[in-house]
Amino acid sequence: MSYDLIVIGTGPGGYVCAIRASQLGLKVAVVEKRATHGGTCLNVGCIPSKALLHASELFEEAGHSFASMGIQVSAPTLDHAALLGFKDKAVDGNTKGVEFLLKKNKVDVHFGTGRILAAGKVEVTAADGSKSELETKNIVIATGSDVAQLPGVTIDEQKVVSSTGALVLPKVPGKLVVVGAGVIGLELGSVWRRLGAQVTVVEFLDRILPGMDGEVAKSFQRILEKQGVAFKLGTKVTGVDTSGTGAKVTVEPAAGGAAEVIEADVVLVAIGRVAYTQGLGLAEIGVETDKRGRVVIDPHFQTNVPGIFAIGDVVAGPMLAHKAEDEGVACAELLAGKAGHVNYGVIPGVVYTSPEVASVGKTEEELKAEGIAYTVGKFPFLANGRAKANNQTDGFVKILADAATDKVLGAHIIGVEAGEMIHECAVLMEFGGSSEDLARTCHAHPTRSEAVKEAAMAVEKRAIHM
Amino acid sequence: MTTPLKTRLLVVGGGPGGYVAAIRAGQLGIDTILVDEGGLGGTCLQRGCIPSKALIEVATRFAHLRAAAEGTDPAGLRAGTPSMDFAQTRAWKDGIVTRLADGVAGLLRRAKVRHLAGRAVFSDAKTCRVETGEGAFTIAAEAVILATGSEPVELPALPFGGGVVSSTQALSLSALPECLAVVGAGYIGLELGIAFAKLGVSVSVVERQDRILPLYDRALTEPVRRALERHGISLHLSARALGHTDGALAVEGADGTPFQVPADLVLSTVGRRPRLEGFGLEAMAVDVKDGRILVDDQCRTSMSGVFAIGDVIGEPMLAHKAMAQGEMVAEIVAGHRRRFDPLVIPAVCFTDPEIVVVGLSPEEAGAPERALVGTVPFLANGRALTLDAPAGFVRVVARREDHVIVGVQAVGAHVSELSAAFVTAIEMGARLEDVAGMIHAHPTLGEAFHEAALAALSGGSARH
Repeated sequence: MSYDLIVIGTGPGGYVCAIRASQLGLKVAVVEKRATHGGTCLNVGCIPSKALLHASELFEEAGHSFASMGIQVSAPTLDHAALLGFKDKAVDGNTKGVEFLLKKNKVDVHFGTGRILAAGKVEVTAADGSKSELETKNIVIATGSDVAQLPGVTIDEQKVVSSTGALVLPKVPGKLVVVGAGVIGLELGSVWRRLGAQVTVVEFLDRILPGMDGEVAKSFQRILEKQGVAFKLGTKVTGVDTSGTGAKVTVEPAAGGAAEVIEADVVLVAIGRVAYTQGLGLAEIGVETDKRGRVVIDPHFQTNVPGIFAIGDVVAGPMLAHKAEDEGVACAELLAGKAGHVNYGVIPGVVYTSPEVASVGKTEEELKAEGIAYTVGKFPFLANGRAKANNQTDGFVKILADAATDKVLGAHIIGVEAGEMIHECAVLMEFGGSSEDLARTCHAHPTRSEAVKEAAMAVEKRAIHM
Repeated sequence: MTTPLKTRLLVVGGGPGGYVAAIRAGQLGIDTILVDEGGLGGTCLQRGCIPSKALIEVATRFAHLRAAAEGTDPAGLRAGTPSMDFAQTRAWKDGIVTRLADGVAGLLRRAKVRHLAGRAVFSDAKTCRVETGEGAFTIAAEAVILATGSEPVELPALPFGGGVVSSTQALSLSALPECLAVVGAGYIGLELGIAFAKLGVSVSVVERQDRILPLYDRALTEPVRRALERHGISLHLSARALGHTDGALAVEGADGTPFQVPADLVLSTVGRRPRLEGFGLEAMAVDVKDGRILVDDQCRTSMSGVFAIGDVIGEPMLAHKAMAQGEMVAEIVAGHRRRFDPLVIPAVCFTDPEIVVVGLSPEEAGAPERALVGTVPFLANGRALTLDAPAGFVRVVARREDHVIVGVQAVGAHVSELSAAFVTAIEMGARLEDVAGMIHAHPTLGEAFHEAALAALSGGSARH
């Protein structure tokens, strides 16, 4: 049996690529190592973490902000088993959904570990060790990424956990040390803090959320500190001792200096993710990878070996599910002889904390580095009616526009539902819209999105509500 | 003794239309006086959008705690039986309203707008008299903006007073009723009815037509109708309210049979009408038709130099329409070239689930012959599942001939913030391919917009 396309990995990039290719008439198969589809995102990433975020937000709110609104209730508790069950149900609903979609789109599914023997040949080793060989015209590598390891620290998923283990902690840890102040560390750190853990975040750099707009990161750090998260920035972890009852984390200033020990019940290592190509046989067939182990591709997603393509976390660029999905679609369209394209300039990013942080386009630091003159418009949620009525006024909207043309170059939002609001800015930026376009667009009242309009008006210093 | 004042611009009404017009005029250096009698912020801030959203928020949280107390919260939240201290709720809500109204006062001061609290009564189109706590004034203005808003419509069978209230009083109750009958299943009645039901009030809704939210198509309103059942609200359609006596609302049912609905309070929300009386409109030579002030696309009335904006010029009676018009008229008075020509004005219904309506419905756009429609249920959206909110959908409507998007609608638990992206896409002239080709963040509810565009392109079904 020969296929037009075999996709290795059914995370968001892989399954979307397979479905799109099948929709365009190609004969497609996927190879998946896990027992369920959806990859890191659906099984042990975005989806389960968002389910926990939702539940923990409700829990915290119930405990803190209700009395002033006139609701009287004894301190709520959380049924931990039910919480994890809720999360599992969300994961199950999503992975089953992908299974259904693959079937509906007539994509053949081969469970097992894929290995590329040569261009056009994929070997699948099933869980029971049996091997089979598949033939295909083209191969797309969509094997994603894996947790980055901290040198000298062993992740046992009990006391020292990765994001995977942090999603299934059997009980709320008294003290949680998070290594790494990136998106994953802050999201999961927030979850367990809200559920009652005392959280300390240790970060090597002198700021949180590297890559995000500096002002946004700084302001967000203050919000998290106000919520009770402790930060140790410019600090490196030199070792974790798990021999006793808890864990002892040894840290020292990144610039050098005296070491210090932080006690923890659980340590979450969230220093990043690395491209996952283990067992694919890339070296044997000569597929080029870069210094960081990422598969090198041309603008049409093709590796140096004709007929072998790669998308998603396994190639360069932001490790985001939606970036992978878009590459999956574009790659499938190119394989089907169409004009697939990814606009890397407009990829929104969301940090699912409470409040959320979302951004699209350039940061102030990037614009400065590129020597682009820009104007800034900002508007706080404290001056937004809906945010006030909801008792959720942390954060602001910031719009960056070209000083000469007024074209919007970047948008950054801290606030409840920022992850949904950012899309308005993304749509506008896809069309090369100006801050005036945004400012003149009728926004529904009372919504938080009115703050986006006001921030756009503030670019020309004419906000109404500030 | 009256103090004579002269001004370049006089704005009558301090609601969203009036105060935005005054602030924008002030920013542009125009000498401006704002006269307002009902409290800054108008209906919206004082007794409409803002207090209702505050009440809805409290109600949603209370309902959630009740589920926690009953052990039915799916995410594992457990709590003892909650109770309401409604006086505290009211104080909290009043605090928000006061802070926002004070905020508007501060914004007016900063824009150097003079604010007079009192009723303006015109003696001719550009002259009015205002009685305030600090004395009486006569104001002569070069230009006038009428932003007097709207008021609740009263049913002859249910005059306001006693046990019959409008949304205004419903939002300032000091105690919860036991049984509430809502007359009129429009968005105001349902928003408040659902909120009171969540707070434990026994709620019935009586609607003259054979369906709820008659302005929206059935597909959009069906999830809300199902939710009414879930909230324990009894719904009486094609039914007529006859009167309120002794703790009961008399109703004539669909088949003409009279029956009683228990109601120690009746909330009558059968609509709003432009406020045209009490300020001397008849002395201004301004044309009025069908109960609203007539204006052109610059909001100019028939009298030169007199503009009218917001609810007083008729539907849609939405705060954001009024604000956009206020901003525009201030700029016109400053000599800018402006017209009121938004492609779409979004409407949001803060029921549970919420409804967003932007642009044309499939029927209005001529589907299926002349329009493509793509619908994606939230059941297929990862974020919705993590929010335990799988009910509802996003629907995109586009012209068949060139795929230009002409409408986007949604119904679902958290869709109100999706409206801005829908509007922006239509204002940018997006085609289905544009939305299908752009990257939406994962996992968000907004992905359903992207999927709905894909669905429309592939004849109704999407990837997810």
